[in-house]
Amino acid sequence: MMKKLDKVLSQVLKPARYIGMEQNSIVKDLDKASVKFAFCFPDVYEVGMSHLGLHILYNLINEREDYVCERVFSPWVDMEEKMREEKLPLFTLENKVPVKDFDFLGFTFQYEMSYTNILNILDLAGIPLYSKERTDTDPLVIGGGPCAYNPEPMADFIDFFVIGEGEEVVLEILDLYKKHKDQGFNREDFLLDVAKIKGIYVPRFYKTSYKEDGTIKEMEAIVADVPEKIEKRMVKDLDQMFAPEKMIVPYIETVHDRAVMEIFRGCTHGCRFCQAGMIYRPIRERSPERLIDLATKLIESTGYENVSLSSLSSCDYTQLEFLVSSLMEKFEKDKTGVSLPSLRVDSVSIDILKEIERVRKTGLTFAPEAGSQRLRNVINKGVSEEDLTTAVSYAFKEGWSRIKLYFMIGLPTETDEDVLGIKDLAYKVKDLFFNRPREEKKGSFKLTVSASCFIPKPFTPFQWVGQNSIEEFKRKAYLINDNIRDRRISFNYHSPEVSYIEAIISRGDRRVGQAIYKAWQLGCRFDGWSEHFDFDKWLQALDEANIDGDFYALRNRSFEEILPWDFIDPGVSKKYLFREFKKSLKEIVTRDCRLGCTACGIKDCAMRGVFN
Amino acid sequence: MKLRVKFNKKNYLKYISHLDLIRLFQRSFNRAQIPVKYSEGFNPQPRFSIAHPLSLGIESCEEYMDIELEEKIDPLDFMESMNQILPKDIQILDCIYPKDKRPIAAIISLAHYEISFGLVEDMDMDEVKGQIDRWLEKEKIIITRIRKRRGRQIKREQNIRPLIKKLAFTNNKENGFTIETLFKVGDGGNLRPDDFIDALIRDNSNFKIDKEDIQVKRLGLYIEKGKRLEKPIW
Repeated sequence: MMKKLDKVLSQVLKPARYIGMEQNSIVKDLDKASVKFAFCFPDVYEVGMSHLGLHILYNLINEREDYVCERVFSPWVDMEEKMREEKLPLFTLENKVPVKDFDFLGFTFQYEMSYTNILNILDLAGIPLYSKERTDTDPLVIGGGPCAYNPEPMADFIDFFVIGEGEEVVLEILDLYKKHKDQGFNREDFLLDVAKIKGIYVPRFYKTSYKEDGTIKEMEAIVADVPEKIEKRMVKDLDQMFAPEKMIVPYIETVHDRAVMEIFRGCTHGCRFCQAGMIYRPIRERSPERLIDLATKLIESTGYENVSLSSLSSCDYTQLEFLVSSLMEKFEKDKTGVSLPSLRVDSVSIDILKEIERVRKTGLTFAPEAGSQRLRNVINKGVSEEDLTTAVSYAFKEGWSRIKLYFMIGLPTETDEDVLGIKDLAYKVKDLFFNRPREEKKGSFKLTVSASCFIPKPFTPFQWVGQNSIEEFKRKAYLINDNIRDRRISFNYHSPEVSYIEAIISRGDRRVGQAIYKAWQLGCRFDGWSEHFDFDKWLQALDEANIDGDFYALRNRSFEEILPWDFIDPGVSKKYLFREFKKSLKEIVTRDCRLGCTACGIKDCAMRGVFN
Repeated sequence: MKLRVKFNKKNYLKYISHLDLIRLFQRSFNRAQIPVKYSEGFNPQPRFSIAHPLSLGIESCEEYMDIELEEKIDPLDFMESMNQILPKDIQILDCIYPKDKRPIAAIISLAHYEISFGLVEDMDMDEVKGQIDRWLEKEKIIITRIRKRRGRQIKREQNIRPLIKKLAFTNNKENGFTIETLFKVGDGGNLRPDDFIDALIRDNSNFKIDKEDIQVKRLGLYIEKGKRLEKPIW
């Protein structure tokens, strides 16, 4: 194996993707392990290593002396080719042993376009693709993460799903497995037992029947003692929760080359397109004391020169100014910087921007999401044009000259006027830069306007609406492009074809799995990478699987329809989501629930206790 | 204050690139709290330089770098604290405060390599040796280098024979052979092992080298003092 590996590594791009051995990686003696867990991020190493969830679960599991967690990623296409040529089975980075020898193979479901990669990983590992074909000698294949909130498209391939926050439940699963193993392991018995753990969904114990029009008639449990509704798992107190104090430091450059710490989980804004904003509720903050301690330990153990304060909307952190200035004060002499991703236009505090900029100035990104105030009300993005112009003017005054603006096209109720609002906003930003006294104009102005195609997601108020057709997306994108005539403003948009496929999968039911399987068979890999996405193959796969893509992507659903993910309870209620949908059509804004509870249905939420 | 450091790069870590290595050292200096000097300006960078970067996939027993320090520190302390942090396959072997203040890359002019080849078909080794000796008797071994500049391809011919200072057979392995070589490095001419290997394969078609079974290892780097060779740190 080692000889083969060495031969293969000398022939591929970035071989360091496959060698492991990074600082803070953990290599244990596998013979002494009672449970072996292979964690897989189904994309290339650089992408997967930037995922905070990996570092959390990796360290959490490895903290237990007799449990082992090792990593595995998608080999890049050149590596896959060589591995197949040499018949080298997929291996973990730590001990470099076949993934098939592990007890668990856990996938994180971060985006739908990685699903063909998941099938490919199973195949490269020599594990049967279909759950029903696996035997006691195969690993238990599990899935978790945000996309697992609609597990159905992958239900045939995954033995069980973890719904909700993995760190809350993973050790319970491994403990149960250890118990079963000690008493003589039987796969079916274990699955029956694990299905009783809150948050666990074992697809094989449920059956779905369909109506003539293709919608779901009923989904029912076919064995006794499994829950009808799967409740998500969540951590109650982030300060008490496990937080990694060290992170693996990759040798090669990754997407985010810095220490990361989560300052809070959840979001209170209630943007109606945002799945994360709904499923990660309620909001839970870490205390500044805990975070300062954590940052110090992370910097010490990694040697990184930057720590990123991660969350869905970092400016919402209650004591952000205090936290940032404490960190800056602590780290400035060591030339360590602090970075804040996910800035919201409305809450960019001038003081915080000034603090951060003391060390280093980079480009600034804002996400107004829609071009007109009307449409921003529809999606409940509580950002006004004034908020944006204030923030941008300040940024220009302070010397920034490169700005990015993010928008979506194809939002519900969108008109051409809304679409052209994107152009208008871009021109206003440009004018703000140039309509200033000459001596204040620093740097060369560059504005990038990006538009993604709106994809309605499960567990959002827009889960019932149809997506725009590919033609409609293109017409809208051209409308913007043809009207931006300034070479200092560049416009780009996401592929409508990719968005169409993503829409089919994200709201797909169990039958869609067959199309994913066919697509993989036809050679689809790395569908999230534009150079690898092959729309024609996907169309062929849908056709061969007898799946009408428009039925899933473009159709408006009624409130009465049983949705494929209805059996999952994400905390927020379906009633709340529908109420929000109705309000959106009337262009009525819902306040940030920090200002008063909006009755989303989350139990034990701090916002209810404090503000009501 | 210039600290001259000798280190190695072995096993799988031969697969990390020069830039990766720089980042690794940078973070390790941070962790070990080494008082490295930083450059001035908008984006301050730690001041250290590694002499004659290795190509990806080549192991080395002895590499060198110069580090600019803010203040003098004990070399032994430096080694000890760095080696605790560095991975086991990249370790500091020695370090000194050099008397010669010229940069390390400027004084090194020769690289010592061990290259072992596997053969596709069994051959008499004396025959292979004779063949290579005759090949080296030529005054000119021309290779063509293709460089990309602003999207255009520029071809440049180069005679690499003067860059091969020494070549010796060290042992015969099963179905293959190993050589040791001294190649020029630096501004006075630079020969990379893969260019040498390509030329060797191209010009010697009587024996068939298995291109997938070639191992290159750098054994050391040398300073030429007249006819004598000296290591930067003994």
